[in-house]
Amino acid sequence: MTEAGYFDPVSVDEVVALLAADDEAKCVAGGASLVAMMNARLVEPSRLVSLRHVEELKKIETAEDGWLQIGALVRHCDVAIADELADGNQILSQAASLIANPVIRDMGTIGGSVGHFDPAADYPVALSALGAEIEIASEKGRRRIPVSNFFVDWYETALEPGDLITCIRVPPPPTGSTGIYEKLAKVKGDLGIAMVAVIMAMQGDAVSHLAVSVGGCGPKPIRLPEAEQALIGGSIDEAAIQDLVGKLSTASDPVDDVRASAAYRKLLIPRLVAQAIGQAKVNLRDGS
Amino acid sequence: MVAEKTTNEMYQVGKSIPKVDAREKVLGRAQYIAELTRPNMLFGAMLQSPYAHARIIAYDTTAAEKVTGVKCVLTGDDFEDHKMGPFIKDEGAIAKGKVRYMGEPVACVAAEDEETARAAALLINVEYEELPTVLSPEAALEAGAAVLHEDLADYFKVFEAIAENNLMSYTEISEGDVDKAWDECDLIVENVYETQAQNHLSLEPCGALAEVEPDGLINLWSANQSVFRVQANVCECLGLPMSRVRSMTPKVGAGFGNKMEAHIQPLCVALALATKRPVKMILSREEDFETVRARHPFKIRCKTGVKKDGTFVAREVELLLDGGAFADDSPGVLGNATLMSVGPYHFPHAKAFGKVAYTNHLRFAAFRGFGNPQVTFAGEAQINDIADKLGIDPIDLRLKNVLAKGQQWFGGQKVDSNGIYECLEKVRVSSDWDNKRKNSGENGIGISVAGHISGLLATGAIVRMLEDGTFVLNTGATDIGQGSDTVLTQICAEALQIPIDRIRTATPDTDASPYNWGTTASRVTYTTGRAVVGAAEDAVRQIKDYAAIVLESLADDLELREGGMVGIKGANKEVSFFEIAAMTHWGVGGPIVGSHTLVFDQSTIDPKRAVAKGMPFTNIGVFTFAAMVSEVAINQVTGKASAEGAWYAVDVGQAINPGLVEGQIDGGYAQGLGYALFEEMIWDDGRLANPTLMDYKVPGTAEVPYDIDTTIVEHPEPDGPFGAKGVGEITLVTVPASICNAITHASGVRLRKMPFSPERVLNGIIENEIT
Repeated sequence: MTEAGYFDPVSVDEVVALLAADDEAKCVAGGASLVAMMNARLVEPSRLVSLRHVEELKKIETAEDGWLQIGALVRHCDVAIADELADGNQILSQAASLIANPVIRDMGTIGGSVGHFDPAADYPVALSALGAEIEIASEKGRRRIPVSNFFVDWYETALEPGDLITCIRVPPPPTGSTGIYEKLAKVKGDLGIAMVAVIMAMQGDAVSHLAVSVGGCGPKPIRLPEAEQALIGGSIDEAAIQDLVGKLSTASDPVDDVRASAAYRKLLIPRLVAQAIGQAKVNLRDGS
Repeated sequence: MVAEKTTNEMYQVGKSIPKVDAREKVLGRAQYIAELTRPNMLFGAMLQSPYAHARIIAYDTTAAEKVTGVKCVLTGDDFEDHKMGPFIKDEGAIAKGKVRYMGEPVACVAAEDEETARAAALLINVEYEELPTVLSPEAALEAGAAVLHEDLADYFKVFEAIAENNLMSYTEISEGDVDKAWDECDLIVENVYETQAQNHLSLEPCGALAEVEPDGLINLWSANQSVFRVQANVCECLGLPMSRVRSMTPKVGAGFGNKMEAHIQPLCVALALATKRPVKMILSREEDFETVRARHPFKIRCKTGVKKDGTFVAREVELLLDGGAFADDSPGVLGNATLMSVGPYHFPHAKAFGKVAYTNHLRFAAFRGFGNPQVTFAGEAQINDIADKLGIDPIDLRLKNVLAKGQQWFGGQKVDSNGIYECLEKVRVSSDWDNKRKNSGENGIGISVAGHISGLLATGAIVRMLEDGTFVLNTGATDIGQGSDTVLTQICAEALQIPIDRIRTATPDTDASPYNWGTTASRVTYTTGRAVVGAAEDAVRQIKDYAAIVLESLADDLELREGGMVGIKGANKEVSFFEIAAMTHWGVGGPIVGSHTLVFDQSTIDPKRAVAKGMPFTNIGVFTFAAMVSEVAINQVTGKASAEGAWYAVDVGQAINPGLVEGQIDGGYAQGLGYALFEEMIWDDGRLANPTLMDYKVPGTAEVPYDIDTTIVEHPEPDGPFGAKGVGEITLVTVPASICNAITHASGVRLRKMPFSPERVLNGIIENEIT
């Protein structure tokens, strides 16, 4: 990389044009992952397209359809305190607040993290529970992909060469919902051994909304919409929880790595999910 | 919490003065090896082995040599067959003939800049023939296992090593008659314990800068714990006379045993000799992980027999250590672990023996505690199991059995300063042990005690009076950040009765400093401190002789007075150091130079009492003691243990600088906590899988309790400087055992394998629920 390979555009159109011109180009936002990978010589981009002057990517705003659009350049530290994320959607703030350390959170961006897609990272599991969408721009125009289709496999997303993530779209939270984000890490700020995100709402004793996502236990976040749906309308008793957590554990596909074994993660999923749902029930009962 | 100063009325000793180099470090002006430059300097880089065990068939360096900016490429063929090693001389400067671990340096490059050197190193082609690997000590010691060092029998060894094939060293110590003693016991407990490899993780990675002077002298700066060990290692493995290498040190960004013996210095010197230009090499964090050294993984079988009333009768300990590809300090670590296996207790019958084996791993070597944290973990965990079985409080059981005044250490060495009993009593009170032990809430507390050595080998000091009556103190001891320059200055200032700022501590330099074996073995305060007192006393004798002339008195009637004065006892008449300096520099006698050298000479083994085989050392050190209580919380959902509190009582003989003692306690605790809970180097079929700070996790501020309570216990060591002994290692030794015992108290789970990961605790919790 030389200085000649560094570009500083101001609009999304300019960015996608620069990306289209060179398959080996990379966008640099906070640099939290990219620069570390370049230092380790894992990637050697032919050109770097800086996003720091692209104002469109820095906004948090509510779209006409009522969805919240978080610009790709919004930093973790700002997601962590975003007032726009209310009720169950607060899991995204909780997830952001647990990423790495203050220095990284002051630099790293939501678009960068989502695009890099480390399955042990915090955002993917939270976005999966939220049912979020990723908005992408390219020379061909803009498109939106639900996260369930966006995260594909280990470090692999639906992004194609020339694509730029423009924003993360989050649907309005279910009325009266609460959100729980649980993460087990070796030390504070490390990538998670396992993460759980739960969004739940109840009407009286009956569950009116439930989304449960498990991260760090396979190539992408695990969600079982059918199993969740089966609990809607019920009182979410111990048996119902055990049924769901058992299915999630079965659906998981963890591997042994330097942080923990696959067997431990299998053991952990039911325990973490049951705890998170239990906490969600307490929150809803207490009105917090 | 600032440790309270205890009983002494000394002038400079016992005061928590700031480190003498604190200001330059806080301002970011202190220079470390990576910041040094020389005119016309080149940068070195190395190529590492992709195999754990392979024969080197051929090198092709043409592509690397063609790169613009490359000045020199060296391979094993460019090195003569010389070998270095502190115990067994089995290691060359670079792989030659074969590689013995993945990551071992096989070739090196010097180029105009670091990028070019690193890129060129990757262009060197090496043809290998793979050999079968041995990746555990058990596999290494099996009949027919691939042998790492075919010439082991011919290697020079500094002790009577019991070594053959992959057996690097066997050590045994026994007292009494263990085999018969089991019949006298009412309770016998036997378990197997396992510990993992830990990385030293100095903030500063290893590095060196070498330059050849026109007259052929090699100036060598490096991150080190001993300029003299650097000099010896470089000269041994390159076949140079020691008079040709001048070894020096900039500031050092910590050393925990990793910088005691050679790392990159020999390659750096070889490149400087080949290019006739200065060459600097700084290891990346990954290279440092992969090529320097680490803490030994241990397997420990520990068997303890006691009477019903808790009286200890017999202990037998069997050790098996992974030594890695080169001996380095392994025989010493095995020897010390054997000696520490019985702990600070009186056992009428005891036997400890063990083996360390060569394997195709990175060399394992010295690391804060030197084999003691491993055996203390096993022994102290087992003593808690015994306390539980007997229904005796763990502290009471220890108080009943710790070495009493006058009792000797295992092997027979006398113990003069022994504050272990007091340490236990103090920590019981400071931790509120009796209440916390009763209240079985979510948290648990655990106790452990240990003794450790402080001493070893040779050291010297020179105290020179300058023309104005101020002084230069030169010891050759590298301050690795722990504050030894400050402590030695305080000792010198006390002996001379002058303010700290009238003493300049010289930086270590093999051309100018008296010999100092190194900053290791918790030895600088105790051993070098003794030399400083001796040298200062030598200077004071001379000062008094000259003062006697000025004051027309007898030297015996004179006394030192605070602030650099000599006076007649009982009279006002006095003369200043300034006047003595002027007189000796310009008129009478000659400038004052005080000096003193010593080698630690107390015998470790008393042959009338103990039988020892394969001991790698004869005189290891005096004994320092600690007791600590840890508090942990266990997450019942995940099994994760977190530290909630720590209380220490440490017998340091005499705290020269209580603030720095506390620093050693805090640092030893944090490093021990990481070792206990999550640090682990993991190998995947010969490849180190986590050689980065992304994947190798150490405790941060969130993991270490804010307040580490410290009580300094002072039982003066008779020949220590003002009674002092070392504190650098003992503070880590006790941590894993106390955490392990706290986990048991909190959860009922007894772990015998480190680290105490959430997975191991949770499996234990689930197992207990089932049974």
